[in-house]
Amino acid sequence: MPIIEVNHVTKEYQLGHITSLKENVANAYRRMAGKPLHKRDDFKALDDVSFSIEQGEVVGIIGHNGAGKSTLLKHLANISKPTKGNIIVRGSVAPLIEVGAGVNPELTGRENIFLNGAILGIPKKIIQQKLDEIIEFSELEQFIDTPVKRYSSGMTVKLGFSIATSMEADILIVDEVLAVGDLAFQRKCFDRMEVLIKRQGKTVLLVSHNIRQIQRLCNRAILLDHGRINMEGNPQAVCDSFYEQNDRKIKTNIDHAQTRTVGSGEIELVEIYFSDHTGQMVESLLYNQNCSIHFKIRVLQALEEVTFGFGFHATDFLYLTTHNSEEQLNINCLPHGDHEIICNVNRLPLLPGIYSIRFGITAGQAARTIFFGESLKHFQVVGDIPITIREGFFALDAHWMQ
Amino acid sequence: MITVFKNLYQYRELIAALTWKNIVLRYKQAYLGILWAVLKPIMLMLIFTLVRSFVGIETGRIPYPILTFAALLPWVFFQESASEGVSSVTSNASLIKKIYFPREVFPITAMVTKIVELGISFFILAGMMIYYKMMPSLYALWVPAIILYTMIVALTISFFGAAINVYYRDMSQALPIALSLLMYGSPVMYPLSLVYQKLIVEQAAGHWSNDLYTLYTLNPLAGIIDSFQRVMLKGLPPDFEALYPGLVLTLVILPLSYVFFKRAENWFADVI
Repeated sequence: MPIIEVNHVTKEYQLGHITSLKENVANAYRRMAGKPLHKRDDFKALDDVSFSIEQGEVVGIIGHNGAGKSTLLKHLANISKPTKGNIIVRGSVAPLIEVGAGVNPELTGRENIFLNGAILGIPKKIIQQKLDEIIEFSELEQFIDTPVKRYSSGMTVKLGFSIATSMEADILIVDEVLAVGDLAFQRKCFDRMEVLIKRQGKTVLLVSHNIRQIQRLCNRAILLDHGRINMEGNPQAVCDSFYEQNDRKIKTNIDHAQTRTVGSGEIELVEIYFSDHTGQMVESLLYNQNCSIHFKIRVLQALEEVTFGFGFHATDFLYLTTHNSEEQLNINCLPHGDHEIICNVNRLPLLPGIYSIRFGITAGQAARTIFFGESLKHFQVVGDIPITIREGFFALDAHWMQ
Repeated sequence: MITVFKNLYQYRELIAALTWKNIVLRYKQAYLGILWAVLKPIMLMLIFTLVRSFVGIETGRIPYPILTFAALLPWVFFQESASEGVSSVTSNASLIKKIYFPREVFPITAMVTKIVELGISFFILAGMMIYYKMMPSLYALWVPAIILYTMIVALTISFFGAAINVYYRDMSQALPIALSLLMYGSPVMYPLSLVYQKLIVEQAAGHWSNDLYTLYTLNPLAGIIDSFQRVMLKGLPPDFEALYPGLVLTLVILPLSYVFFKRAENWFADVI
């Protein structure tokens, strides 16, 4: 028998403000008079969602902001009730929906442990037994008798997480809580989650934007999109599909984003375009295939000793490559007029994803910068990659041996 | 109703922890600490005693200060429980959005918190009784029942008010006004015997008098305060004639109020 059953759950929220008393009275009158009601627009946060979870499963829920992930968890934790459908949960639930929800700033850390424990339904006896363990895990021995209002935000979250994970429940509901504290503490939280999952065989529902976490911890993933289940099953497949969706979304978003350029005005960048190995103009590039990048420039003043440079960077401006024309291209003089420079890339090593291009030109003996721009053109790399190189930016030409 | 008690038992540790939190928080950085809790009835008693020296209020053989303090004791307990209870759900919005437990825990906790303050007021009443050389009679054993009844009345208002307050915050604004008006409609400043004297004995309102008296005692607090004074100070059993109209009214409304609260509870997290 599944430990969690979600049957055709729909949750509607009304948009806008709560209706005024006047409107409620007016509606009551209309109802009695049999006239149509004045209704506000509905918003479906969950739309006919059905699934079931067996004991011991670790299920990741992913999706864009507003896809309904947190709404779903709230329903499973019995905080909200569905508009339609029903949810059956067979077992006790530990909701880590937001750690530190019940942490009170006026109380000391120790007092908060007892208060939060009571809120989470942990019997006082058990808290007393586990008190030392909780304090030790939170790394707050020194501050445990200080009011929480004097804690840093990281310390507060550490405390909350330590209390919440000491609860012994059949089902853990985790919403983005692993991203707490500094890196060392995150590591510790992650390890504790793994212990709970792998050794104690708990049923866990995990919501995270950290897809890698989902891939690593879960044995099933559910992709939500606008309140519907878009895809469900093997976490690898679901996460890949989510990545693809994301990339597309990023591309449409940043196509309109402003590019950053500086220049002396002696030169203008007209266009950047790509061509594939057959010489055909293309919009997206193929992984591990030859391609060419074409830079069309307009020289307004004749230039001497010109050097070009270009590089790929990730959408968050992480520089991945740089390639200068020095020693490959000797241009002593670049006359007035339009020119096209081409850079041929052999077997493009970038893994599928969204990238961007930066481009710069220097001139003269002193190599002064005449033009420089970042995020000049966003492009997508597509293609199938072998299972050996899942994550990162580049494929390594490497082989295992024994 | 049975589920209420089952929940109460199951969540007793939570109620205890939240009560303890409320008390610690309220007085943590206050030098006078929990003494503030009893300041209200004492101040009101002093004011009433002052007022009474201008306008004559017939109180019989009992000294007025102790009589009015004995009235203020259940009254302040009721008033504070009800107003705290009504705002208890909205003031715990962050918990309601994050964690599930039966929401009646909040109004009940608000009331339990007030029991602690009531306990301290009892010490002051005891001190006054020693000062006036009064001994409680065996009828004082009625006190727990009277306090329990007061709690039920306060909860009846809290459940309904707290649920409304989630949707319309007007409730927490309107309630203090309504309660301070109700104080004048309850035998706090004056004893119930005075009302009885006017309406039943003197028939001051003509043939409406008896009905008016029943209407007056429909206010549960009338019976509560009167009974409390009788068993503590007068050495008399409670006056059931003054108690039962309010009791009937409360017992009719309490289940409705509770059901209303439980039905509204489902949407608290969405609306709050």
